[in-house]
Amino acid sequence: MKIKEGNAGLITNFELLHLLNSRGAAKDTTRVMASVGRSEYKVYDYLVGTVACNQTKEHINEFLEKSQKFKLTKAEILSIINTRPSQLVELDPIVEQQEQRPELDMEELLELILQVLPPPPSETEPEPEPEPVDEDNNKTADAEKNVPDE
Amino acid sequence: MFFLSLIEHKLRLPPEDLSLPLHKGIKKVLDGIFLDKVISNLGLCVSIYDIRNISGGFIQAGEGAPTYTVEFRMVVFRPFTGEIIVAKIIESDNDGLRLSLGFFDDIYVPAHQLPQPCHQIPDPDRRYKVRWIWEYDIEDTGNPEQYNIDGLDEVKLQVLNVSFPPLPIEQQEKPFAPMLVTGSISECGLGPVSWW
Repeated sequence: MKIKEGNAGLITNFELLHLLNSRGAAKDTTRVMASVGRSEYKVYDYLVGTVACNQTKEHINEFLEKSQKFKLTKAEILSIINTRPSQLVELDPIVEQQEQRPELDMEELLELILQVLPPPPSETEPEPEPEPVDEDNNKTADAEKNVPDE
Repeated sequence: MFFLSLIEHKLRLPPEDLSLPLHKGIKKVLDGIFLDKVISNLGLCVSIYDIRNISGGFIQAGEGAPTYTVEFRMVVFRPFTGEIIVAKIIESDNDGLRLSLGFFDDIYVPAHQLPQPCHQIPDPDRRYKVRWIWEYDIEDTGNPEQYNIDGLDEVKLQVLNVSFPPLPIEQQEKPFAPMLVTGSISECGLGPVSWW
């Protein structure tokens, strides 16, 4: 084995999810049929639980275009797309050396994130589950998560 | 978190895969070789992204199968230093926390990278395990609020270091982990997602 280029480009969670989807990965039980390995399914399961599952190409492109004026680094853009911070305190550790960057208005950036990128799956309507027990669990979990925000 | 790597590899295509279209056959062999494995100093192989080039196909003397040289791109998992990732707690003991992403279980937050000041109490449900509790005193009242770091929700952490320990020569107590991610949750905005 020869590594010709160790890092040939970063990819976002969304792009990987899209790739696995295009190979036939899906949430249903027909997993054995698809040409997706078991380890790839583990990654898929993780990605489906992140903000990447609601994102589309348009969201990403729009964000890339509108965030140009903030002069973010690639790593920062990647982190923002992957984690979608919804509060200033969450955005804070992602963006480094804020004092030395006059063109960076954190509040404006946060507003852009909230406007363009879709919210994580737990904040949107929970999908109807076949078993009522699970649904109840989901709701209480969501309720607990929402308390500190208010 | 994920990136692409361009790799060249020489492989033997076994005769039973010769009936498949060449691309499919080679992808099958590559999947078997690389998926779910850690390449030292590169990262955890997640998926074959695309096959760029296939050359060769010679049958060497004494072999019953053709050998191809394949150039392909692979999706590799290795978080970069400073990246924020969200993971679930799977262990919490004296040394700190151990977290999992579902496909990768060797993420550690050592005790000194937990938010300070904090203390631990024994976990009532599991022996030898502890629960870490952050004492957050915003108004200096001397009566700090207690925030539990329990396994109930996901934890945001900042990656400090990714290391690839060498293969151990002697048998060790812990199972060997080829890639270790060390993180910190001591800064503002990090820690259990429900805190913020």
